[in-house]
Amino acid sequence: MTSRLAVARPVLAIALTALFFFPIYIVVTGMLKPADEIQSSPLGLPAPLTGENLGAVFGREDGLYWSSLLNSVQITVLSVLLLTLSSAMLAHYLVRSKARWTKPAMLMLLSGLMIPPAVILQPVTQVLDAVGLMNTLPGVVLSNVAYYLPFGVFVFAGFIGTVPVDIEEAASLDGASRLRMFWQVVFPTLRPAAASVMIFLGVWVWNDFLSPLVILGPESGTTVTVGVYRSVGEYSTNFGTLYAFSFLASLPVLLFFVALQKQFVAGLTAGSVK
Amino acid sequence: MPGSPRHHPLQGGRLRRAREFSGFALPGLFLYGVLVLVPIVWTIVLGFTDQTRFDPQTSWVGLKQFGRLFQDEQFWLVLRNTFVVTLIVVIVPNVLGLAIALLLNRESLLYRLLRSVFFTPVILSGIVVSVIWQSLLRPDGVLNAILVDLGVDSAPRWLSDPGLALYSISGILCWQMLGFCVVVYLAGLNSVPKELYEAALMDGAGRLRRFRSVTWPMIAASVTINTVMLLISGFKVYEHILVLTNGGPGRNATASIAFDVIEKGVRGDRIGFSAAEATIMLAIIVAITGVVLRLLQRREVHL
Repeated sequence: MTSRLAVARPVLAIALTALFFFPIYIVVTGMLKPADEIQSSPLGLPAPLTGENLGAVFGREDGLYWSSLLNSVQITVLSVLLLTLSSAMLAHYLVRSKARWTKPAMLMLLSGLMIPPAVILQPVTQVLDAVGLMNTLPGVVLSNVAYYLPFGVFVFAGFIGTVPVDIEEAASLDGASRLRMFWQVVFPTLRPAAASVMIFLGVWVWNDFLSPLVILGPESGTTVTVGVYRSVGEYSTNFGTLYAFSFLASLPVLLFFVALQKQFVAGLTAGSVK
Repeated sequence: MPGSPRHHPLQGGRLRRAREFSGFALPGLFLYGVLVLVPIVWTIVLGFTDQTRFDPQTSWVGLKQFGRLFQDEQFWLVLRNTFVVTLIVVIVPNVLGLAIALLLNRESLLYRLLRSVFFTPVILSGIVVSVIWQSLLRPDGVLNAILVDLGVDSAPRWLSDPGLALYSISGILCWQMLGFCVVVYLAGLNSVPKELYEAALMDGAGRLRRFRSVTWPMIAASVTINTVMLLISGFKVYEHILVLTNGGPGRNATASIAFDVIEKGVRGDRIGFSAAEATIMLAIIVAITGVVLRLLQRREVHL
């Protein structure tokens, strides 16, 4: 019985994974094939390899890939940095402060975790319009920071709760200013939490579609996800190039994932093990 | 007295407390207030008006928008669609995810690699996932080509058959979320103390009994995380529908409530009506999440 399972497990596991992987296989091989071969042998390996689909995306006349890549990088880096700073400080304040209003404030923040973007998007555009940030990158960044703040606070608050307050008290004895004490003494102890916040928010912000679509609007360029969406129509007969664009749009996140795989899983699991 | 050892870091003079508040808490709270809380209240308020994008005249209409909403059979249709997708997305990746986690719960290079494969769609954007699947599910796409080769006469019209399209979209969402559940369940399984299994084994518990009496209660926290995560993502489904069917075929065969809210209010001009619909959407998700969280957390075991 046990030995039969010992053989069956890897076989079953590999078979299921292969089935699951099938769509990704089609994309990765398809983007390396010439157009006629995608139609004639969609399942076969690409031989000979062609780089013409990737080249077509890189060399688009409107430069859509490069301009949207630049926008995505700027939005993601700025959003994640601001989110990490503001949610770490806010979480620290809410956990450590003894003021009575911090508990309801924390609850109000955490309930933000379940607000669907569709519910608030229309008023958000009106707020951004009123302050002149509609159709700008800072508009997207600020709305990201506000929308994802609850997640950052949630992760940092959970972590800060497990860090003893002694170090902070020792540091405050030296008369260090609170802000300096936070960055020099407290923040370094929060590094694991900061890693999960940055990883998750990095992926989410990069993949965001609705808010860049609506807030950036057609005039101010796009992000890579919106770029893929806008180019679907023109590639309707040329799947190789559409696959190449989809792959190149996801490549930064995929590399990020490969590089930080361990922290990814650690971040995901911190909550479920606690 | 500032500086005394018993003195808590965040207590002190009023001026100092005000400075700390404005340095630490204010920037985040201000942004959250202006770009999340105010918009929530604003949406609720707009639901009681007849605001449209191009008519500068806006007036209070009381509950009229809600009345129109409840009489609109399209609203009940998108609500039904949303519940169908959410129900499938909460159940399927949860069950399959646990099964696959049990299957992959071994430490070796092979299993680590297989886990990463399952996790890959989780980090892809919904747009990219939808674009990939749309090409596979075309009437003359790869999937149907395989089915024809296998001898299926009339290959399904996955995305253009009104009776099937919603289930195709749900299936794609399940594919994307599955890896998340697998990883969370694997972590849950790893956190179960080995002694519990040894004790159960000594008591002569079989494989199934060990799962029911040890594993299942011990991974309750993972069940909570996955269920709530799936619930929230299923309920707000938008971009998959936009790419795969644009709400069709026909009128709203696959439109979700989020899709309808955005079509009418953000991309369309019926701001008041869409705000009333968004208010209902908010009420439903808050109520369901609250109930589900309470139910699931009750059975979590705390070591």
